[in-house]
Amino acid sequence: MSETITTCSLAISFAKELENESAKFYTALADQSGQDKEVLLSFAKKNKEFVTQVERAYYGVISDAFEGCFAFNMNPEDYKLDTELAAQADYAGALKKALANEEAIVRFYQVAAEQSKSLMADVPRAFKLVARKRDERQSVLKSLLEKQA
Amino acid sequence: MAVLEEPIKEVLELKNYVNGEWVQSKSKKVLDVINPATQKVLAKAPMSTKEEVTQAIEAAQAAYPEWRRTTPLARVRCLFRLKEMMENNFEMLSRVQTMEHGKTIDESRGETRRGIEMVEVATGIPSLMMGYNLEDIASGIDEYVIYQPLGVFTHIAPFNFPFMVPLWYSPFALATGNTFVVKPSPRDPISQAKLAEMFDEAGFPPGVYNVVHGDADAAQVLMEHPAVKGVTFVGSTAVGRQVFKTCGAYYKRSVVQASAKNFLVVMPDADIPATMAALMTSFYGNTGQRCLSGANLVVCGGGDAFYSKVRDEFLTAAGKIKVGYGLDESVQMGPMQSQDGVERVKKYIEIGLKEGADLVMDGRKVTISGDYPAKYFLNPSVFDKVTPDMTVAREEIFGPVANIIRTKDLDETIKMINKSNYGNAAAIFTSSGPAAREFQYRVECGNIGVNIGIVAPMAFFPFSGMKDSFYGVLHGQGRDAIRFFCESKVAIQRWF
Repeated sequence: MSETITTCSLAISFAKELENESAKFYTALADQSGQDKEVLLSFAKKNKEFVTQVERAYYGVISDAFEGCFAFNMNPEDYKLDTELAAQADYAGALKKALANEEAIVRFYQVAAEQSKSLMADVPRAFKLVARKRDERQSVLKSLLEKQA
Repeated sequence: MAVLEEPIKEVLELKNYVNGEWVQSKSKKVLDVINPATQKVLAKAPMSTKEEVTQAIEAAQAAYPEWRRTTPLARVRCLFRLKEMMENNFEMLSRVQTMEHGKTIDESRGETRRGIEMVEVATGIPSLMMGYNLEDIASGIDEYVIYQPLGVFTHIAPFNFPFMVPLWYSPFALATGNTFVVKPSPRDPISQAKLAEMFDEAGFPPGVYNVVHGDADAAQVLMEHPAVKGVTFVGSTAVGRQVFKTCGAYYKRSVVQASAKNFLVVMPDADIPATMAALMTSFYGNTGQRCLSGANLVVCGGGDAFYSKVRDEFLTAAGKIKVGYGLDESVQMGPMQSQDGVERVKKYIEIGLKEGADLVMDGRKVTISGDYPAKYFLNPSVFDKVTPDMTVAREEIFGPVANIIRTKDLDETIKMINKSNYGNAAAIFTSSGPAAREFQYRVECGNIGVNIGIVAPMAFFPFSGMKDSFYGVLHGQGRDAIRFFCESKVAIQRWF
């Protein structure tokens, strides 16, 4: 996605894109490295739950009075993920990539929540909640990385 | 560009849904339903004959006695099934609305959600329809009020919310034990046809819910037929007056929700960034084709600097609006629904210019995102230096045009609003409680917003309206709708 995120529909689609990309990355990393498989696969699974959470908030509260068409002004390039895994990628390097991706996703949710906070009902709340849960994930990733040192 | 997949792949031949059957109209008058963004024909809609409309009413009449005897619990179980089907088909229904009307996908999803909410509220009918009573009105004598259904109700639908507006009425009518005939707008009847498929599957008995496609001739039958107990209508004031008069002449109850000219007032203490987004939705959402749209932007007090700030920020925000096909998720404003609408807006822009308003943004110069025919598209327009006596400030334009009016204080503003013939909605943007309270107290409009751009009442509240924006006594939605669809029977009991 390259165009500016202007509408709520596009923000939700972009969130879904980020979560799917990130889930694919964790699944591939778990398969490739064979390390911390359970944790990484649980991240991938949780990503799907995040999508459900955000979509439920959007589809559950959207109404004809919704200010969704004018609530956002975000550049998707600011939240680009690096999900390439080289065939012989070292695990620590991949974890660093995962951390950077997590930071980008958290930033996306935080900015989206901030931009839409006074205009929409439960969507910004769902964004904030997902951002908070992802914050917790960053500390798990950091501890996995420390184990590698 | 993220354009969502279109759910309508081939030209549909619309049929009437009468007495639980899909009936091909014999009418030779068939209208093309056009996607206003792409100009492709989506469907052929028959303009049903008077006989066909009469058959639908008679089917509803025949179904009424048994439906009325069906328990409220059994009736709402049909609505629960309907709701489930609407949820399961949420995205399809929304995209159909974008295709037939032109609105953005966010707006269509909002419309679908509102429609579902009507069904949800109506499922509470076993509680909502309860009457009341008092023991011992005299010694040993009790009095009861029982709400009872009346029979056949009809709905004449507008084009601007083709899916949602009929649902302001039908779930409440059916849940209370009445039967119903809907005539969708001939301009965008497809989402109603899709909805009728769900009514069919939800298990409503044949004849309880009927859909006939048609024009003004069909509407006339829906108002005049002796079996019809009441009529619900949403549309222009000019037509609404005729509907109200006709219903009166035929001794029928009616709900007539009509045109508007809504004022949105920005006070010097308003939160400007949040206000701007709300104003954009209000003035340009649904391409200005809604009875709750902002029409007159009133900058109240605050001096020259405040006036310039509001005007400039409004112009900047309006200038950024992305116009295009509503199935492109990045689009913020779709096309007008029809050529008539485009011509009407252009006519009013000419009038505004002639009367001396300053056209600071001319939406007739069209820029569209994507490769679509420009025919039905307009960009946002803004008139500055508008005075309340100008035609553009008084008459409903029903398109993406904002008029900026300056007032010195709240008192002058409220007096100006109250001079309008219309009284649908008005909103104030302020951080002052007293100003908001004064506004709410004095403004003669049915729906009042405080820091809300679109004052759309929820399904469990009435959709109000005053003056030339509403004719009738009870409104659509909420408890008003339940009262409208029921007679209050009084029983007084004494046992010897």
